[in-house]
Amino acid sequence: MPSINIKIRLILLLVIIFNAACQEKRTLPILGHKDTVVKAGKVDTIYHQIPAFQFLNQDSVWISDKNYEGKIYIADFFFTSCPTICPKMKTQMLRLYERYANQDQIGLLSFSIDPEFDRPNVLKAYASRLHIQSPKWNLVTGEKAKIYELGQKSFMVTTQEDKNEAGGFVHSGAFILVDKQRHVRGIYDGTKEQEVNHLMEDIELLLKEK
Amino acid sequence: MKSSTCIIGIIGMFSFLLCFSACQSQEEILREQYVVEGMGQYERHCENCHQKDGSGLKDLYPPLAKTDVWKRLSAYQLTCIIKYGQKDTIVVNQKVYQNYMPGNTKLEALDIAELITYMREKWGDDKRIFPLDSARLALKNCH
Repeated sequence: MPSINIKIRLILLLVIIFNAACQEKRTLPILGHKDTVVKAGKVDTIYHQIPAFQFLNQDSVWISDKNYEGKIYIADFFFTSCPTICPKMKTQMLRLYERYANQDQIGLLSFSIDPEFDRPNVLKAYASRLHIQSPKWNLVTGEKAKIYELGQKSFMVTTQEDKNEAGGFVHSGAFILVDKQRHVRGIYDGTKEQEVNHLMEDIELLLKEK
Repeated sequence: MKSSTCIIGIIGMFSFLLCFSACQSQEEILREQYVVEGMGQYERHCENCHQKDGSGLKDLYPPLAKTDVWKRLSAYQLTCIIKYGQKDTIVVNQKVYQNYMPGNTKLEALDIAELITYMREKWGDDKRIFPLDSARLALKNCH
């Protein structure tokens, strides 16, 4: 009997160690198109990165990729007069805003896909009604074509005008997680609490990298 | 002769009471149906902004729970706001909300009657049904 007991204990211990080892290995993938180049006889993988950008925020201040250098940030696409999924997204983004309020290495960035209407003053009014502030959470506007291109090509989400859609635009409710090297590390449904919980777990993983 | 009239009377009264209570519960069943349907309508058309618990979102979208809306606005006025939206500012609990509310033009009189019955019970402390005919009448007189 005692020997069986010891065996069981040993197995249990092994299972625990094995599990712990597996959990530590979990890393987030780098999403998007990959390229390989040969440099000095070595094969190098070039991952998809968010390119340089520059837009005006709710305080009429220029915000560029430089503002997010060395930071982890969560981006989304919305518009202030959106009657459909934006309110849900903003409810979830507020959770992130409150949770990471004191962590300077984490930022939030919302692009307006109705930039002609959402001028900085409109974004300012929206931000103050949401009780949020820059630079923790920048709401940005600019040239429509540039925002759409950035959304579709770089953040890999749907953004376009559609007169048949309530509010006049179609866009995904995605939250895009970008790491300190400008790589996209995850895309989540920003309208669902569960998915945003998952996003927060992934942020913890990113914080442990390097 | 006398006793038989008495029995008939008792039976008559009893059946009257039975019918009355049955009728009442039928009305109650209808009201409960309205509440259940109204809850679904709320989830589909209102919850995004006003939140599941009716608490609103900061200063962007006004709350519905624990507000003076239910005393200040009639079901007729609410019907028009739900259907055609709210273009001007609205004051809720003495606070001004400036975001415009889009109308839910696809909702029919029955949908709105259910919705208001549900919300009134939940937040207005008002257990009356908002009848379909009243919702129809309200819609005719919007604008």
